Amino acid sequence: MTPAKTWRFWLVKLILGLWGLQVLWLFWHFGPEAADLAQRAARGNLGNAIRQEEPLYRWATALQVVIPESAAYVFLDDYAAGKEIEVRYYLTPRRHILLSPEVPAGFLFYALHQEHAAFLLIRESPKPLGPGAQAALHSPAFQPVKIPGPGLTFRVDHSRLRWGFYD
Amino acid sequence: MIDTGVTLLRLLLGLSAIFCLGYALLTLLVPRPRDFTCLERAAFSFGVGVLALTLWMLALTWGGAPFGLAWILGPPLALAAALLLAPRGRRAIREDRRARRLRPRMALSGWDWLFLGLLAMVFLFALPRAALYPMWAWDAVATWGCKARIFFDTKALDLTCIDAHNYYPNLIPLLLSYLYFGLGQANDYLVNAIFPLWGALLLGLLFSLSTRLGLSRRFALGLTAFLALNGTVFIVHLYIAYADLPLAFFTLGGAALLYLWLADAAPRGSLPLAACFLASMAWCKYEGPPLAATLILAAALTLVWLRPAHWVRRLGQLTVPLAGLVVGYLPWRLFAMQQKLEIGADHIQGFYPHQMVQGIYYLLAGLVEPFYFGFLWPALALALVLAGKRLWRSPMLFLALFVGGNLVAIILAYAVAPTSAAEFPGYVRATLDRLLLHLTPVAALLLALGLKDLDPSPANDPGEGTQGLMVNSNLRPEI
Repeated sequence: MTPAKTWRFWLVKLILGLWGLQVLWLFWHFGPEAADLAQRAARGNLGNAIRQEEPLYRWATALQVVIPESAAYVFLDDYAAGKEIEVRYYLTPRRHILLSPEVPAGFLFYALHQEHAAFLLIRESPKPLGPGAQAALHSPAFQPVKIPGPGLTFRVDHSRLRWGFYD
Repeated sequence: MIDTGVTLLRLLLGLSAIFCLGYALLTLLVPRPRDFTCLERAAFSFGVGVLALTLWMLALTWGGAPFGLAWILGPPLALAAALLLAPRGRRAIREDRRARRLRPRMALSGWDWLFLGLLAMVFLFALPRAALYPMWAWDAVATWGCKARIFFDTKALDLTCIDAHNYYPNLIPLLLSYLYFGLGQANDYLVNAIFPLWGALLLGLLFSLSTRLGLSRRFALGLTAFLALNGTVFIVHLYIAYADLPLAFFTLGGAALLYLWLADAAPRGSLPLAACFLASMAWCKYEGPPLAATLILAAALTLVWLRPAHWVRRLGQLTVPLAGLVVGYLPWRLFAMQQKLEIGADHIQGFYPHQMVQGIYYLLAGLVEPFYFGFLWPALALALVLAGKRLWRSPMLFLALFVGGNLVAIILAYAVAPTSAAEFPGYVRATLDRLLLHLTPVAALLLALGLKDLDPSPANDPGEGTQGLMVNSNLRPEI
């Protein structure tokens, strides 16, 4: 074997050695997930049963009964929290409008009226309620619906929200 | 228990219908499917079947027919039956049967068992992880899975109730909703099994192509395990229901077929088949059309640079994959325009040099960060150095241009991304691994070519090579 070929083989062997170590690290990295899978499989706690463990899913399942499929709802939450997309996923094909929890009352009421939204959902958050949500609590157009879960539910009479004079 | 069995059977029947449709279309596209190996035929059949079925579902929406198994499967399976009963289809089936009887047993060595064992462990983890947990990852819930549920619930490609990148192509959501129709319910965990299947087909294709390119079975198996078990990204994408793994699969198929064609080693019918894969790239994900276009561009540049015999005529033949790109891109674009869907929410407002500098740093860090792709990209850099002049004096240049060009494209895309300075690092973190995943199987193929000289037992060495894997190989440079 020529010297050039020899150092090539050494380089390849070095990469393969590092790869071997990395494979061991992969076993360590995916170990907890594999253990969770094995435990769930042993208990038969798989599929939809995994979702049942989430309060958000149980809340959304209860909302499915209350909100008609043809209705629209406004959801107040931070997009980055990733919970809004889950609720939208569970509640499809109901029309979903996301607004920030900090939305001012004028814009929230305008959106509810304009979109003919029948429900307002506010996901619970450690932060205090924003001005729009505060206004909704005190408006006769919003009827609280008691559904246990990580959020507040209001039935909205959007016909009572005549836009144009809130700001 | 019986319900579970019936559900599994329905899933298997749904998947079998895709393979059947794809195989029938393969007999139409390729004069002799036996010129491809068994693994290649399986991968190509699935790819072509998925493309045809989902485009048919788009056509159904256009025609106003509601989704249902009868409409989705009836006409395509009738077409498949007609194709398989035609002389070409009958001959393909006959040859397949005969070859199965004649196939010699594979004698596996210690290293083969080790690599196969590692691959088996990946799928022993990924398959149940995909099929027993409900959809949970961001894009699966926000986009692909959500649309699939809507299509299933509304029995149409109806996006009126959602605003989730509605202009994105719909191969994945339509495929998932087809499986929901097959299962008779929106079972969003069992259908995830399609993603490890896609991963297995990708790895099978890579293995088979590596042996076709001249690697011994042991080296090809090692390379396949090297791709699958390098970093976390590939394994995670086997079970998170994102469109990136399917796009990587279609990119590998398209790139490999074009490479074989450029190297005068492609079985007949490879260019129309490549066209189907480029169509699938465009119909699979928003990044698909530019990726497919760069494949064609890299092929054209390679022809111009190398100037093989009849290179001008061959440049003209690239209109075949170009037509594929148009077929994958145009129907959805026209539909979106007809439905007045807002297209292109990622508004480009300017060129930001500081983002470009940061993008270069993040890209280089991503390429060498073992968490993403392990040592695959450093190994590729090494292989390209070892390839020497071969890199620009052979069709290997095509793969290098494609991979290198797209790495540059990623940097440029970051330079025009409309994000704030504070958001930019998070934006890169959320996208870079997926953008690299699209290229990584092609990078592995390039690695195979670069390391070919180091293989002590090349494929044509009896007893070590492609024994039992390549029954036929047609080296005629035809389309």
